[in-house]
Amino acid sequence: MTSPALLAAVGEVGKGFIQERSSDTLPCQATDALFCWDWAKDNIDRYGTPTVQHVELVAISVVLGFALAFALALLSHRRRWLQPPLLAATGVLFTIPSVAFFFLLEPFTGRGRDTAIIALAIYTLQIIYRNTMVGLANVPESVKEAARGMGMTERQVLWRVELRLATPEIVTGLQIATVSTVAIATLAVFVGGGGLGVPMKTGIDFATNLILAGGIAFLLAVVSGLVLFGVQRLLTPWRRARQT
Amino acid sequence: MPQGEAPSETRSESGASSVSYDGATKRYGDSAKPAVDQLTLEVPAGEICVLVGPSGCGKTTAMRMVNRTVDITEGDILIGGESVRDREPARLRREIGYVIQQIGLFPHRTIAENIGSVPQLLGWKKERTQARSAELLELIGLDPELGDRYPAQLSGGQQQRVGVARALAADPLVMLMDEPFGAIDPINRERLQNEFLRLQAQVRKTVLFVTHDIDEAIKMGDRIAVMREGGRVAQYATPAEVLMSPADEFVEDFVGADRALKRLALMRVADIDLWEAPLAHVGQATAEVRTKLAAPDVEVPYPLLVDSERRPLGWLSERDLAADTVPARPDSPLGPVLDRDDVMRDALADLLQGEAQYAPVVDAEGRIDGVLSVEIISEFLGSPRAKVEEHSAAERPHD
Repeated sequence: MTSPALLAAVGEVGKGFIQERSSDTLPCQATDALFCWDWAKDNIDRYGTPTVQHVELVAISVVLGFALAFALALLSHRRRWLQPPLLAATGVLFTIPSVAFFFLLEPFTGRGRDTAIIALAIYTLQIIYRNTMVGLANVPESVKEAARGMGMTERQVLWRVELRLATPEIVTGLQIATVSTVAIATLAVFVGGGGLGVPMKTGIDFATNLILAGGIAFLLAVVSGLVLFGVQRLLTPWRRARQT
Repeated sequence: MPQGEAPSETRSESGASSVSYDGATKRYGDSAKPAVDQLTLEVPAGEICVLVGPSGCGKTTAMRMVNRTVDITEGDILIGGESVRDREPARLRREIGYVIQQIGLFPHRTIAENIGSVPQLLGWKKERTQARSAELLELIGLDPELGDRYPAQLSGGQQQRVGVARALAADPLVMLMDEPFGAIDPINRERLQNEFLRLQAQVRKTVLFVTHDIDEAIKMGDRIAVMREGGRVAQYATPAEVLMSPADEFVEDFVGADRALKRLALMRVADIDLWEAPLAHVGQATAEVRTKLAAPDVEVPYPLLVDSERRPLGWLSERDLAADTVPARPDSPLGPVLDRDDVMRDALADLLQGEAQYAPVVDAEGRIDGVLSVEIISEFLGSPRAKVEEHSAAERPHD
């Protein structure tokens, strides 16, 4: 089903996850079915821990990434000269292939979840930073002029007007970052970061397993995307108000 | 804004301060030419001073020096005798209403919240701010229900009214208005101008009003400062004076060749003697109406149909009069209807636009007050009386 070369590249393939509860042979081999319902029913509970780990990986990475990107956005908002270098820097980080990134970090931070979180958080920077800057740039000049003219301080203009109006773009950035992190986090297993990559990697030659683990990751992405969409609607009631 | 509805809780908002420019100069960077050069003028409390001039004359810069959105390089500006240079800008601005052409309402705040913006900055209690928002919505003639809407749900004209209400919310000493009606279509602009003048008659703020439109300046200003390139004032005078005796060639050119016509902008329909039309009521015998028409001193040769409240419904034609009784639906449309408070220039425009020779003039309740004709206006323009009337009108232009 999978090429030996890929299996070799992935490393320690084999028994572990799949065969723990099964006999020596892979289940359902006789029927040659793509998805083995019996095995899935017996083993679905074993995806609980990887799923929780996965959610934690994503949540912590996105929160960290958001905190850093948001801070960078505030820092560069009134210092325009900072924006091109920051965009370039986060952009370069974003283009590093993920597996390579994990291995690049490994000598410095060792194997484990922290390394995975650092890499994943850095991946979110570009999306969140750029979206925040776009959101702030989209705030109409006239609104800012009115805000200053009525006596808001620069800080009040930023927090009460600009960031409120940039909320749709900021949340969209979070949404894209979260959904993509759900996918990239499946690679955390390569630095021992846990998550849904664990069952995927150890059972890479067993379709049922891949479908289950991949399906859960897919569901996580969809659900987190929807939740953030809801958050965006809740935070921006004025956008739902249409001309009547 | 509906008249006769001035709610009693609308205090005669007396808080207004004079504004004095005292050699105020603005220079950008090291450039030799200042944007505003040694500006010295005094705006008495409660008056509208219009800064008018071609683009690049420094009028907006001059206005913005008052709330320090533009900083003063040399000289000073005093509000109620107090230098703005001594004030912390944000605090100063909360005492000065600010209206801009693009309105700049906060899209994420409801109309009521928008109006309550400055009170909120001043730390008013929530109930007080809400009450004030409701009061202002009424003052600008907007349905209180609109208070819960967002700006995107309002028309441009409504948004501009809200912009004015927001500027008035904390009862400012001074209002700055930067081409406030510049982005509104001509018909609504005229309406908003009239509304603002009525509002001003109630609130009596000191207003600095910037426009490039001399007609608007003549209409809105108690005084006009005509500015020219280099940030200098060419003439500072009442609208009548600017029209009658321009200080120099620049002002004369800027005011334009149609000065005579512009004088109409200084008068209201109520200031002129109107004609009377024979009135007719629905169901009345046409014979009676024809008798009235035949009277030797009849001024308007058409009978005007009015309802029981004397509100005009339409003009009766020969065909209408051919019947025994006056019909409910007259043959000819009513055409333009003028308000006693309309400015003469606008009234003439309405007449010409409606291709009408006569237009009924109504009072605030919509009841017939008389008829204005193109003939009355042309007679007036030709009469020596015009000059006298102009001056008296200019002294009390906004009743």
